[in-house]
Amino acid sequence: MSYADNAQSSYERALDRVPETVQVYIPILPVMVLVGLFILYPIAQAILSSFTDKTFLNPSEAEFVGLANYQEIWASAEIHQVLWNTFVWVAVGSSVAIVIGFVLGWLLHEKLPYTSVASAIVLIPWVLPRVVGASIWKFMFGGSQGIINEFLVQLGFIDEYIVMLGNPEYSIWPPIVGMIWRLAPLFALLTLTSLQGIDDRYYEAARMDGATPWEQFRLITLPMMRYNLAIGFLLMLIYNIRNFSMVWVMTRGGPGVSSSTLPIMIYRQAFVDFQVGFASALSMMLFAVLLVFSYYYIKVYDKVQGEFK
Amino acid sequence: MTTDADDPTAEFRKNQSWLYDSTAGGYVRKTAIGLTTALMSLFILFPLYWMVVTSLKTTQEIQQIPPTLLPVDLSFVGFEEVIYSSIQQGGYTGFVESTFGLEVASSIDIDVLGLIFNSLKVSIAAGLLALVLGTIASYVISRREFVGKNALMSLLLASLMFPGTAIMVPEWELINTLDLFNTHTALVLIYGAMTAPFVVWLMKGFFDEFPDSILDASRMDQCSPVETFLYVIVPMARNSLIASFIFAFLLAWNELVFALTLLSGDKATVPPGLLTFVQGFNTQWNVVAAASILVSIPVLIGLAYIQKYFVQGLTGGAIKG
Repeated sequence: MSYADNAQSSYERALDRVPETVQVYIPILPVMVLVGLFILYPIAQAILSSFTDKTFLNPSEAEFVGLANYQEIWASAEIHQVLWNTFVWVAVGSSVAIVIGFVLGWLLHEKLPYTSVASAIVLIPWVLPRVVGASIWKFMFGGSQGIINEFLVQLGFIDEYIVMLGNPEYSIWPPIVGMIWRLAPLFALLTLTSLQGIDDRYYEAARMDGATPWEQFRLITLPMMRYNLAIGFLLMLIYNIRNFSMVWVMTRGGPGVSSSTLPIMIYRQAFVDFQVGFASALSMMLFAVLLVFSYYYIKVYDKVQGEFK
Repeated sequence: MTTDADDPTAEFRKNQSWLYDSTAGGYVRKTAIGLTTALMSLFILFPLYWMVVTSLKTTQEIQQIPPTLLPVDLSFVGFEEVIYSSIQQGGYTGFVESTFGLEVASSIDIDVLGLIFNSLKVSIAAGLLALVLGTIASYVISRREFVGKNALMSLLLASLMFPGTAIMVPEWELINTLDLFNTHTALVLIYGAMTAPFVVWLMKGFFDEFPDSILDASRMDQCSPVETFLYVIVPMARNSLIASFIFAFLLAWNELVFALTLLSGDKATVPPGLLTFVQGFNTQWNVVAAASILVSIPVLIGLAYIQKYFVQGLTGGAIKG
């Protein structure tokens, strides 16, 4: 209770006459309409389309086909390849980005001077327009004049320049490298922020008790960072699985489907082959995965909020 | 953290102490740390360096094998091509030639400045839309209790995960139904919807910390809630508001999927425009690099401003430092 509670202004008396629901829900409504119409409605729409044979050529004549699209996904060797690629992307891309990012964040916090300038520079790959980042890597991985070929020749791994982007055996890897380059800085920054948030007094106390650096890391740093690391981990998974631009710019998912991931396949099915129904069924798989990830994201999020409040 | 306040060089000494460690194990550790740092810096920075160097090379030098690490003859031909072709596409050739006495000729036909202009238009509009709607909503969400508040916040958080590739097909249909295909309005609305939840989370974090005593003081001075919001809260929230705007702006600036599927021709924004350039036959990489640098400038300016807010912004405040 403060003095101000007694000083009810005429404005407030006027406001009192406005029903509670109006006061609360009217300001929220515009955001809800925007998000509802442009994000939630399309999701619902995709669910419906995934049970039809809709194409962009006859959107109005679409017929209900039940689970046919899903059966096709199940049966198609191409899609199996795509799903495997997506799995490799998420598994390799995320884990390498996390390791590099963690070490980088730790170095920035612990070992390097000018932390704030250095972390701004490290962040550039993440904020650069995606197409720009992907273009640089496409150029660097080029088969005829690419600098990466030159590096590999100099280091003695290969004898002469090889085609990487156009070769189905290798084509999945260049975009993953590019994506690691883009995501590792992000994880580094999350690590740095979490490390900065740990109070030095914990370490002082641990040193007094004779804890070795490794014990300090294992028993203080890691437990203190666990929720932040979990959020970072989930973000890596989410960004990797929804990534479109890195692959599309560098290889367009080709040759064949050798470097296609799920988002690339959805785009190709819908906007190259016009198979809206089939593409929607593929989107459902992406939804399912993202739904699981976001569920855990929200759960961890609540934990963080609870812990720090 | 407490030591920093007493002794300004404490942090620096703490950071650097490893450098003066001269035990045998110390040297091993020093070498390992030095090597790791060098490798990481190479991985992160080399592509950026390569973009800058490439933009300063002549077209012949780019095709050279092995590639040169520094431009042998420094040339601004990439930037020239980009700017001249924009002048040509924009129809200003006559004006520029007569005013500046330059000869405008370009071998490419992509209006990069036009793309930048389109992107600025879309990104600023989307940023403002998200900022205004998001801030109003977040204020109420932070200050009032109501049914479904937690569900609403979770829904908004979840909706941050989905946009982009997962909904490009139905979004295309929706935009067609609304008769907004190939308009900037469509992108503004979608980007607004993609970033508004994020603004809500970020600003809610700010309002949650906002002291009640200031609100009480403004009530004493007979401000209406709307006046309090406009004249007391908004000025104090300036930094958070700017950060939110920049986040929304950057998302719109970088987004490829919707720009690629919903726009065509001279409506194109930077990402799809650059894409046609990169995927064309016989890509002139010095021109691509020059264009890339030009379109990255707003991003770098934005980064300098929001660096402090970056982590909060990215995770809606989920990571606390």
